[in-house]
Amino acid sequence: MIALYRPGTSLLHRTPAGLKVVLFMLVSLAITVAGSTPWALPLALVFVIVGYLLAGFGARELARQVFAVRWLVLFMLVAQIIFLPPLVAVGNAARVLAVVVLAALITLTTRIPALLDAIDRALRPLRRVGVNSAAVGLLLAMTITTIPVIAGFAATIREAQRARGAKLRLATFAVPLLVMSLKHSDDLADALAARGVE
Amino acid sequence: MARKVRFELRDLTRIAVFSAIIAVLGLPGAIPIFGSPVPIVVQNLGMMLAGVVLGPWAGAAAVLVFEVLVFAGLPLLSGGHGGAAVFFGPTAGYLIGWVVGAFVIGLIVNTGTRKPQWWRVALGCVVGGIVVVYGMGIPVLAWVLSAPIDKMALSNVVYLPGDVIKVIVATVISLALWRAYPQSFVRTAAVTARVEEPAAHVSY
Amino acid sequence: MAPAQAAQSQPQSPSEIFLDAVSVAFGDRHALSRVSVTLNHRRIGVIGSNGSGKSTFARLLNGLVTPTSGTLRVSGLNPVTEAKEIRRRVGFIFSNPDAQIVMPTVAEDVAFTLRGRGYTRAEIAVRVTATLERYGLAAHADAPAHNLSGGQKQLLALSAILVGEPQILVADEPTALLDAANTRRIGNYLLDELPQQLVLVTHDLALAARCDHVLRFSEGRLVDQGHPAAVIDRYANAVEHG
Repeated sequence: MIALYRPGTSLLHRTPAGLKVVLFMLVSLAITVAGSTPWALPLALVFVIVGYLLAGFGARELARQVFAVRWLVLFMLVAQIIFLPPLVAVGNAARVLAVVVLAALITLTTRIPALLDAIDRALRPLRRVGVNSAAVGLLLAMTITTIPVIAGFAATIREAQRARGAKLRLATFAVPLLVMSLKHSDDLADALAARGVE
Repeated sequence: MARKVRFELRDLTRIAVFSAIIAVLGLPGAIPIFGSPVPIVVQNLGMMLAGVVLGPWAGAAAVLVFEVLVFAGLPLLSGGHGGAAVFFGPTAGYLIGWVVGAFVIGLIVNTGTRKPQWWRVALGCVVGGIVVVYGMGIPVLAWVLSAPIDKMALSNVVYLPGDVIKVIVATVISLALWRAYPQSFVRTAAVTARVEEPAAHVSY
Repeated sequence: MAPAQAAQSQPQSPSEIFLDAVSVAFGDRHALSRVSVTLNHRRIGVIGSNGSGKSTFARLLNGLVTPTSGTLRVSGLNPVTEAKEIRRRVGFIFSNPDAQIVMPTVAEDVAFTLRGRGYTRAEIAVRVTATLERYGLAAHADAPAHNLSGGQKQLLALSAILVGEPQILVADEPTALLDAANTRRIGNYLLDELPQQLVLVTHDLALAARCDHVLRFSEGRLVDQGHPAAVIDRYANAVEHG
């Protein structure tokens, strides 16, 4: 898996994950509220530049992030271009692109465990209404552990079907994948029970 | 157990495994079909299957867990996308729609120990996988782009054929899965009624 | 609440495993039929063909399977009604390490066992480090668990059980998926070094032969038990002559 995180020691890297998410939400709200007014775009541009500078990234990282969402930009343009004047369509897409590129800053400057911890802490008050935050933490960790196992199943099935000379089709691939995965989940449940998890 | 929804261990591991399946459906080269780089391509098939196989609560939870991991920065969306960005872009509504959609699919299909009926699976996937997802995705898209909603809806028609194909594939897979491994569809409530797997009971 | 933590690392005197007319049925299929046995040996081997009931017997011991009828006690505890305490005292290891590793990294998975047992973070870290060192996994502490080799994964699964200092280890075909070298390595550790009492379910008769006492199951019944060489000899005969 490609890590989206970029190590660093900038101000943004050192800011707690939860605070970063809240700050980002405020910024994106400001940009969205400015909406179609003439200063939405300049405002967004200032936020993006300041944000990337605070994170210690240059134009190169910014360009990489913009390139990473090229399909999203295309999707937005396709959605609008038939119905709206081109200038409006491009302006809208640019504003949204700014928000998306800013949101990427959270991911670029925060390690995954720090974000998972922040999510866990955010969920804690929900304990009173019956949300078991320990189970949520276990669930997230267990899923991360399970992804390579399932990817391994997928590889095994592909090879087996190739070995039999079968043409690869989605249904003949998905059914054995689901069966193997669900059996694996039952084994996991047994192992958790044996380890005393309630 | 006074709480309304209580997941047992077996549900927890199934949720984790299904989240992982949705993630694997997005890994490059994992799935032997048209390798399109456009995000959210086969993964909504995984979301439909989660609702069909796991039922409303666990199905929605599986999609939610997947999305939380994406939010936390794992590049699990098709094409290696991920991070907080996708939840603040024009696709945010679709992602919320996935969670609600999986729930709706589970409600409509509602198999338990019975054989899933093809028309229920198809109907569930159309309503939960298309109507709900578009119904939540398009307004958010229109709002984010401050564009008229009816026109955004029209432009979404482009994606309809692909999603209809996925409904058909999800239906075919669900029925084949029932023949291959009927236990897939057993909910904890049903497990409790059977003596077969006492291992499922670890609630005190 | 506080489990007996005293003298856990030294070889312990074996606890008693007691079954009186225990049956287990899954629906209308009898997995075990009226098994009665008292065991207090340090190394107990369990053999029999696939579907003979030996795995069900193993699962009874830490409450993974509930008896349909009969009386079952493991060191004086009832695994059904005292499941929580039983799972601390009876560790269980399966064949497939992939299905036992729940946390993303090696150290996290070992630490996971100690959660909710009233240890501080520092205490957990000390125990995890010590355990990883004992099993030669210290260099991989922060590595993704699934990057380990098959033998290392099974060692990790074993570490994750033993860090909780159970009194008894039940191993259900722990070497079934391992190559010859790893089978020897894990087998030697379990039989020669493990301080705990061991119940070893295995198809590997060479491992069973090194136990103190062997049980043989067939079609859900305990058909033979006693000195390993004798039991294995009779098993080999039975297999040959149908």
